[in-house]
Amino acid sequence: MTFPADIEQPVPMPRSRRGAELLMLGFALAVVLFAYAAVGLGLKGKLPPGLPTLVLVFAALMLAAHLAVRRFAPYADPLLLPLAGLLNGLGLVMIYRLAESGRNGNPGLQVADMSASATSTQLLFTAVGILAMVAVLLLISEARVLQRYTYTLGAVGLVLLAIPAMLPASHSVVNGAKVWIILGGGLSVEPGEFARLALAVFFAGYLVAKRDALALAGRRVLGIDLPRARDLGPVLLAWAASLLILIFETDIGTSALFFGMFIVMLYIATQRTSWLLLGVLLFLGGSWLTALMFPHVMERFTIWLHPFQGSNPYGIAFQPVQALEGMAFGGLFGTGLGQGQPYHTPLVQSDFIFSAFGEELGLVGVMALLLVFGLLVQRGLRAALAVKDPFSKLLVGGLSFVLALQVFVIVGGVSGLIPLTGVTTPFLSQGGSSLVASWILVGILIRVSNSARKPAPQPIQDEGMTQVVRAA
Amino acid sequence: MNRALLRISLACLAMFVLLLLNINYVQAFEASKLAGKPGNIRVFDQQFTYQRGAIIAAGDPKEVTIAESRLIKGTDVYQRYYPAGKVYAPVTGYDTIYSKSGIEQAENGLLAGTSPQLAVHNLTALLTGKQKQGATVDLTVSPAAQTAAYNALTSDGGHAAAVVAIQPSTGAILALASYPTFNPNDLTTFDGTTLNKVDQRLLTERSQPLLNRAIQETYPPGSSFKIVTSSAAFSTGLVKNTSTLVNAPEPLRLPNGNNLINDGGELCGDGHPPIIQAFYMSCNTAFGELGIKLKGQVLRQYSSRYGMNQPLSIPLPVVPSVVPEGVGVTDPSLTAFTAIGQYNDEVTPLQEAMLAATVANHGTLMYPYLVQQVLGPGLAVIQRTNTRVLSRAVSPTVASDLQSMMYQVTHNPGGTAFATAGPQATGGITIDGKTGTAQNGLRNGNLDDAVFTCFVPGSGGQPSPIAVGVIVQGGGFGADAAAPIAVKVIKAYLGAHS
Repeated sequence: MTFPADIEQPVPMPRSRRGAELLMLGFALAVVLFAYAAVGLGLKGKLPPGLPTLVLVFAALMLAAHLAVRRFAPYADPLLLPLAGLLNGLGLVMIYRLAESGRNGNPGLQVADMSASATSTQLLFTAVGILAMVAVLLLISEARVLQRYTYTLGAVGLVLLAIPAMLPASHSVVNGAKVWIILGGGLSVEPGEFARLALAVFFAGYLVAKRDALALAGRRVLGIDLPRARDLGPVLLAWAASLLILIFETDIGTSALFFGMFIVMLYIATQRTSWLLLGVLLFLGGSWLTALMFPHVMERFTIWLHPFQGSNPYGIAFQPVQALEGMAFGGLFGTGLGQGQPYHTPLVQSDFIFSAFGEELGLVGVMALLLVFGLLVQRGLRAALAVKDPFSKLLVGGLSFVLALQVFVIVGGVSGLIPLTGVTTPFLSQGGSSLVASWILVGILIRVSNSARKPAPQPIQDEGMTQVVRAA
Repeated sequence: MNRALLRISLACLAMFVLLLLNINYVQAFEASKLAGKPGNIRVFDQQFTYQRGAIIAAGDPKEVTIAESRLIKGTDVYQRYYPAGKVYAPVTGYDTIYSKSGIEQAENGLLAGTSPQLAVHNLTALLTGKQKQGATVDLTVSPAAQTAAYNALTSDGGHAAAVVAIQPSTGAILALASYPTFNPNDLTTFDGTTLNKVDQRLLTERSQPLLNRAIQETYPPGSSFKIVTSSAAFSTGLVKNTSTLVNAPEPLRLPNGNNLINDGGELCGDGHPPIIQAFYMSCNTAFGELGIKLKGQVLRQYSSRYGMNQPLSIPLPVVPSVVPEGVGVTDPSLTAFTAIGQYNDEVTPLQEAMLAATVANHGTLMYPYLVQQVLGPGLAVIQRTNTRVLSRAVSPTVASDLQSMMYQVTHNPGGTAFATAGPQATGGITIDGKTGTAQNGLRNGNLDDAVFTCFVPGSGGQPSPIAVGVIVQGGGFGADAAAPIAVKVIKAYLGAHS
């Protein structure tokens, strides 16, 4: 019996790529720095006064995040943190630009519902978000430990979802959407953003346990495998929950995200196209029914199909028409940061922030932004493909998809591709809940990508002739 | 599970591809359309921060700028200015902070520089740091003819009137004047309150100065419609040639028992004149009877061949001149009136010019147009109007017969326009024409509308240089009120081109 000559050599360690991450982070910081400077130059022709503070604080936060990843998830995908950091930084820049509009002698009109301190508040939320991400890395050593809390997190998710519906309007309604918990003192939380994460864990845990029953039992009708009636229960429950959100919280976007996430995770777990088909049919049917029953849902369709009809541009369609005209005004190359008129679009700092980028950075700029989002989703899906543990696979697959769906729903809504529904633009929109939840999501992606790339354990001591069997 | 994950990845890819396609659609393909939406605040805010293109009257050897944007001293804002204000108002229209009309509206994309045709230039300007600039629009309008038209209308004793002059061989519009008119300089203010005041005054004034009578208002053509009736009679073979005798009783008894009479109840010749005599004397009964024999639908068909019964775009929108469907073409008693340009016949002054222009161009009607070419900010031609045939109305033989008859109108001592457009009145210029004196029903009480359509025939192998249509509302006899206006325009135009 002969052995290959190199059997006595130590097993080569895969490269951790932390240096690449740091370099990419440097690029992201440079882009943010230049964008921030461009806002000041575009508005007033000189550098913004808070330039060193904002850039240094943001750079320190990113560096802290990088060190945490280096310490707790050394084999994580090196692109995740820089991509998220770039988006977060550009969001900060745009929020600064919008908050400055019409203030401090800058041209333009003041943006309604936006305080002068919006930028520092958002920077504070960024810090909380990074902290939350570090906490995820610190507390969760492997994503599959979350599987133990499947039903606990399921209950937490449902309660978080239901709270705004239970609260009186004065404690839950902001800009017509009943999705908030208003704590007073200017502090409010959008629990749906966190509920989505909790429910993703619940779905993943539940489906991993039940997937064989869901996938194999059932009857074949017209070439489609139909599930058993008793297995349909949770699907119908999720459907009903999403409809209830739609009706009681007047929040079509969030409802679509929940249902989409659930159906896709169901599909990944079972590989049954029938589930996907059933889900899409249920969603379309539900939307159609609610459109017939509730005028505010129908109105969304009217705005989408006929934004320029009659008095619509000055009435119900004012906001989307402003966004479209702003994006068209930006054209190919944009007006340049600080030189457009995004302040004409109501809520441009939250739901419509993408149109502000379209106006000031142009087609070129928003295509780049979409590619950054696309890359982030792709890295997530890649981690899901590579990781072996089915729970992690499901969780990260579902979360990556819902990130893509969220971008699709809001950017598609703002640019007139689909009816507009109010969801936040991940990392870009003003607001803490969305930002913190997005960073937690990135934390989970980093954790799972680390598990996927981590080399197999090395022998602790020389075991002589004992062979190391690598499970590949 | 990886197979499903790969499919989900493809779904994510599809979503991003859809988003990328859609923003390309919005920000590249639809951008200029969205920029042109009424009430676009962004476009509104910046429309005066760069130089809008000029409008030039380029129909004479000596071109004249009729609209331009001037930098207001001490600011970076441009204001529109119309050097000859009222004279060209029906052509240029106005350009207020809220709305536009005329060429300012029809060619807005090019003048403002937002048209896709200027995209490459705008991109270059962006990259080189130059300022964006609109394109220059060269019109076919002849400053000499337009000024003469405006002067003739304003000195005509206050009747509402309009003149249109066309180059018959191309369709190029040489003059397009309407009276009363407005001064577009009154509407260029940036002050909304002042603008509203001026706007209210112009809108409520009884003389309707904003109405472009040359293309936006219709009048009964009266006897000038006999050109169309004659065309139908010659083309169908009902009348062989100009010396064919026609029946012209006084009065003509209609199938419904009513009478159609000649002007003043005079007998037309001996009651059986050759058609050429009935034409230059403008006998109603002869053409009324021809109309009954031809049938209303045939008259309507020939009116369409002359460009009627359809909207035109020059590129200003032109209301259709019409012989309407209905009893006017189905009831023979009413068809007799349709044949002499009464009952429900309605034409624009532009249509009057088109009647003569068709005859002048040997029976072929060219599509009328105002824009000669558009020059980019580098003065390169980015758009040129190609002449095109609107309709082959009648054969050259029929056109030649019509021309002979129109010659007699101004050259036979018995012709209706002998005194006002004949050789003595024109100083030797040959003008062939047809008068019309139209009863305008309730609109003017007892005052008739004066109509004249005419052209200068081509000579020595040259095509006809000019055809003119005039309508003077409540002017009385066409020969007296309308023909002298046409003569003045023709003299001025030929003077500038001799």
